[in-house]
Amino acid sequence: MTDEKSRRIGVVVCQCGGNISDYVDTEKVREAASHEPGVVSTQVQMFACSDAAQQDAIREIREKKLDGIVVCSCSPKLHLATFRAMAERAGLNPYEYTQVNIREQCSWAHTHDPAGATAKATGLVMAGIARTARSQPLEPIRVETLPQALVLGAGVAGLRSALALSDLGISVHLVESSDHAGGQVMRWGDLFPHDKVGAELVASLVAEVGRRENIQLYLGTELVEKSGRVGAFSVRLRTFTGDQIPLKVGAIVVATGFEPYTPKPDEFGYGLPGVITLPELKEALARRPKPLVYGGREIRSIAYIYCVGSRQSADDGTGHAYCSRYCCSATSHISTVVNGLDASVKQYHLFRDVRTYGKYEALYESALRGGSLFLRYGEEAPPVVRSQDGALVVQVKDRLLGGEEVELRPDLVVLVTGMVPRDNAALTRVLKIPVGQDGFFREVHVKLRPVETVVDGVFIVGTAQGPKNVAESVQSALAAVSKAGALLLKGYVDLDPQVAKVDPNLCVWCDECTKACPYGAIDRVAYGDKEVAEVNPILCKGEGACVPVCPKQAVSVLGYTHEQVTSMIDALAKEAV
Amino acid sequence: MKTDPTFVDTLRLGGEFDARMCMNCGVCTALCPLGLEILPRKLFRRVLLGDHTAVEGQETTIFSCLLCRLCEQNCPGGVHIAENVRTLRTYLNREVHGLAEA
Repeated sequence: MTDEKSRRIGVVVCQCGGNISDYVDTEKVREAASHEPGVVSTQVQMFACSDAAQQDAIREIREKKLDGIVVCSCSPKLHLATFRAMAERAGLNPYEYTQVNIREQCSWAHTHDPAGATAKATGLVMAGIARTARSQPLEPIRVETLPQALVLGAGVAGLRSALALSDLGISVHLVESSDHAGGQVMRWGDLFPHDKVGAELVASLVAEVGRRENIQLYLGTELVEKSGRVGAFSVRLRTFTGDQIPLKVGAIVVATGFEPYTPKPDEFGYGLPGVITLPELKEALARRPKPLVYGGREIRSIAYIYCVGSRQSADDGTGHAYCSRYCCSATSHISTVVNGLDASVKQYHLFRDVRTYGKYEALYESALRGGSLFLRYGEEAPPVVRSQDGALVVQVKDRLLGGEEVELRPDLVVLVTGMVPRDNAALTRVLKIPVGQDGFFREVHVKLRPVETVVDGVFIVGTAQGPKNVAESVQSALAAVSKAGALLLKGYVDLDPQVAKVDPNLCVWCDECTKACPYGAIDRVAYGDKEVAEVNPILCKGEGACVPVCPKQAVSVLGYTHEQVTSMIDALAKEAV
Repeated sequence: MKTDPTFVDTLRLGGEFDARMCMNCGVCTALCPLGLEILPRKLFRRVLLGDHTAVEGQETTIFSCLLCRLCEQNCPGGVHIAENVRTLRTYLNREVHGLAEA
């Protein structure tokens, strides 16, 4: 490491067009910084992120041969990447750059106290200089990626992912735990909005998969082990006969789907003859019965009860709080299918809100035109289903009649059940990807990174990530394929070098860091005549969970070493005196 | 209220009855020059649910309607309200009063 006395550090203090300089005396901050040992250049800029200001900084770095730079401006969330790129253009290692946040964490927070804000900004800048004085150049960790992918689940999302990966020239291992491909959709009849039959849709995908030489389909097989890193995972599959299959893959697409919600006994009369769920009705209608008969009884009228197992606001938190998205459209659609089979069947939709969003609104309208009656109920007064003399009786308070109780005597009660997550505990242990509060696999960012997980190279698609209809499942499948393709076809991936590092001389292998690490990135290795912890820099995310638990201070995160953090605290404490 | 899914079919023997696109917005009630409160939206909903007692109990109202079509002209759902009222009258004449159709 460079001796801090001989460092040549530049400091840029940004005014952010008044956002900072209205409350912080930026000139005073610059003046204070200029007296710090190692600081050879200081500037105040109106907008440090502007092109002209970046050119100034680059010139300064080159002319004064700076080996570190501190920009005191906004949150690193906003401009860390900007200034790292600027440092790189000036020929400086981007990890010799430190961003100091004197806007969100200073000027904006202390608009009532300019003197205090200036003192705090000065302290933060001193800490930034102290950290930079002890910074080391770091190089991205470049690793090779294999053009092979593992797709878990051969439902619509998994099949479509496999085909699209195959199109890109990526070999696919498509793994299905059951004994057949097709998932839930295979059992369903007509799908909305185009009336294509589920089994036919799936059959066409399966046939295409069969024609591809670079897709290998494994039925009755599960993933039991995963190690390695993005671009080169080592995985182990286990077949139903107990055979183990080891594979090397660059990326993993999780398309394990959902379970239909199973109502509890007696929930809306579930268990009574003639009370079925939406998937059961879809399956029954796939056989196109004429006349319409279910379980031996002729169906003249149907009552659908919406939101069963969805949008539950139980105080004990055991319910499913989310909307399952597909069910309003699916039920509106299935009522038109029933109409097509027998237009004289009366259909009653007992709903809470109709969420046939976007183009699916047309399904709701065609249900209305088909003569379906919609009765709105509130969660506080759900419909009651009971059996009386062998007939089904449904009581519901109709809001449009001012809450008057309406008694229906349908031949069939269809509980419009939502989607619930599958039991993913075993897979979660193997893949180490998080699930959300709802139990579905969780993406990194719902808007900006919707198919990526915190484990690089592991993607979540379809209903494994949350309730979706078929179209949305395929959209997410193709999104994940484009992410996986971009990763694998480049042949390499650059990883952030700000990762944890163990000093083997200090380490005594107490296992604390291994327990703290959420990514399984710490291995036990031999070092001389003892065993020590070693961080796999490719798996490490640099979040530092291992650092505070180490009793020997043997582990630290590069860019945030003990020495750097201690010197930052010292610098802050000095200013506060 | 007890419902009868076949009621609307019986009604339709005497003419058209179509209130599928009624969204219960209440424009009809607001515009009615006679201020017939139950007509048409509340009554139509009861008819669709199969509450024949509502029809029989609202006979005066049903025959008070002027068939002026002010409501129909302004119905955002395009419901043929006047035609529906005629059908209700036919039903009452036939089923309640035993009058043959003209």
